[in-house]
Amino acid sequence: MFGIRISRTAIPSRSNFIRPLFQRFNSTTSTTFQPLHPALIKRAQQLTQELKDLEASLADGGHFDINQQKKYSRLSMVVDIYRDYSENVTLYEELQLLLEDESLKDEAEQEIETTLPKLVELADKLKSKLLPPHEFAEKACLLELRPGVGGIEAMIFTSELFQMYINYANHKRWQYSVVSKSMNGSGNGILEGILSIDEPGSYDKLRFESGVHRVQRIPETETKGRLQTSTAGVVVLPQMSDNNQSEDADERVFAQGEVRIDVMRSSGKGGQHVNTTESAVRLTHIPTGITVSMQDERSQQKNKSRAFAVLRSRIAEKERVEREAAQRSLRSDQVSTTDRSDKIRTYNFPQNRITDHRCSYSLHDAPGVMRGEKLDLLIDALEKHEGQVRSKELENMES
Amino acid sequence: MVRCSLRLFQKASKTTQNQKWISSLLPVCKTPDQAKQELRWIQMELPQDKWDQAIQERSKFIPLQYILGSQPFGSLDIKCRPQVLIPRWETEEWTLKIINKLRGISSLKILDVCTGTGCIPLLMGHSLPHLQIKAMDISSDALELSNENKKIHGITNVEFKYGNVFDKGLLEGEEFDLITSNPPYISELDYLNGETEESVLQNEPKLALVGGLEFYDALVNNVVLPSKATGFFFELGDLEQALYTQSLLNKDWCTKIYKDGADKIRCVYGWKKGSKMQVLEFI
Repeated sequence: MFGIRISRTAIPSRSNFIRPLFQRFNSTTSTTFQPLHPALIKRAQQLTQELKDLEASLADGGHFDINQQKKYSRLSMVVDIYRDYSENVTLYEELQLLLEDESLKDEAEQEIETTLPKLVELADKLKSKLLPPHEFAEKACLLELRPGVGGIEAMIFTSELFQMYINYANHKRWQYSVVSKSMNGSGNGILEGILSIDEPGSYDKLRFESGVHRVQRIPETETKGRLQTSTAGVVVLPQMSDNNQSEDADERVFAQGEVRIDVMRSSGKGGQHVNTTESAVRLTHIPTGITVSMQDERSQQKNKSRAFAVLRSRIAEKERVEREAAQRSLRSDQVSTTDRSDKIRTYNFPQNRITDHRCSYSLHDAPGVMRGEKLDLLIDALEKHEGQVRSKELENMES
Repeated sequence: MVRCSLRLFQKASKTTQNQKWISSLLPVCKTPDQAKQELRWIQMELPQDKWDQAIQERSKFIPLQYILGSQPFGSLDIKCRPQVLIPRWETEEWTLKIINKLRGISSLKILDVCTGTGCIPLLMGHSLPHLQIKAMDISSDALELSNENKKIHGITNVEFKYGNVFDKGLLEGEEFDLITSNPPYISELDYLNGETEESVLQNEPKLALVGGLEFYDALVNNVVLPSKATGFFFELGDLEQALYTQSLLNKDWCTKIYKDGADKIRCVYGWKKGSKMQVLEFI
């Protein structure tokens, strides 16, 4: 862990930014302190003011609801770090002055040695806190997995990834449930699987999993020992419903006629005339054309309410992606983003290596990741990478 | 000779066993997807030593609900067994819709006639614990099963008792606000000419299936009117039954025909103008 932290401190300098953003064994330890970008300082000052205002309104007996409570705790956390940071910056600057005085130089140097790592850490912390949280950061999530190229091997890999996320949830002691899972003909792979992770905030951790995952290995089904590359697609969606809502609450979110509901349609008279076990439900959201089918439950009602929950998630994610794209196109500094068709990660089993291509981070423990125990290392690396990219965006935007 | 690993062999034999089961289920399930689905449900809900027997029975057109012993109905799993009609999804659909309309009402007396498993009043009682519900059936098998279902789900605001809808003194003077019913509505003709599914004919009780206009006449004249109810909701099988029921009510009443999710005429319902049962209007 420590190795990762140090390498990150090397990044803030803007001229260094073109270098690969993340290298695991980056040996550059920082010896000089790079103050935070003025745009970020400005933002910290803004937040300090916001906190003051909030405290003032509180003192006046203003209304204090759950959202304001959340805001208050978030703000006070950032402001505390900022105060700590400012104090240390002042201390550091004073020490720098003392260096010029021959008689105090040694002591000052000693003091700087202890202050510097602290300052660097605080700067890092502050930077990540200053970035606004993801709009769905507090949501639970749904994971949708489908095989990509590679035939049966891709389906097998999809089912292994599905298991990996279940293992991850178990490892974190998070509640989860399999929403739907359709197996291929021979029963060893998945055609489509949806996993619901019910922990609030799990979206924020798992959102980096969205994209194409690539596997390189000699498939079980391969007789001549040839290495094969296959892929699986993962989509991470925010759960939009509350846990304790009534069964049809998701349905009621939609206007009449917005969603077409198709159920089993027999040619006969229905009702008492037939006794069907078919419980499949298909929803079509007419404005967007999104369709969701559910058939795993014996209860048509349960299939329907699950389908509505998935539909809400898919629409929310679609809207978020569109908003993000619209905001990006407004900016002059085009930040390259990963397309959905780009591979995000490679699982190379012969080399026991897992590489995330977005942050160029490699890990040499494939079984550990598949057991869900080491997945957090990848996610941490991605969080840091994103923090850097976003603070860079913020700096560019406000400078 | 090529040797294969034991694991692979076990996997393969498991697959062929499943394939065999799926093909046994195919005639009754009609599509391979549905056969796979039913196999999965059997394997999920029954212990392994019962699978083979269950599939044998199912391939002889025994309803899956009798084999597994239940049918989901809203949030409840309703216990099912021979001699009592299995709840249908159409009934579940309209029951849930009524429940949603009644959520805002603080006190209400509901009566369900020809209750069978008790699925309608039990789901209502479960979802709306503040309401008082009674339910009747003529069949002792049905009464026994509905009371078991009540016990299983720990529902206390529903009461089951014997009642014959053709008995003019059925209510003994008791009054209700809302009457629901899913009476037998398959005509003798439909019962014999192939309109009714083989598995229904062979396994479900004729008593709960075959009936006609006389039931709707009895429901209106022996139940709705004497109970002074201001709303009713009856399941049915064709337009004639709906029009006939509508014709029995005078102009104090508004009546409508309800179509189910498969776009078939499924219910007739009504409310007395100006009463609180007007909530049913836009169901």
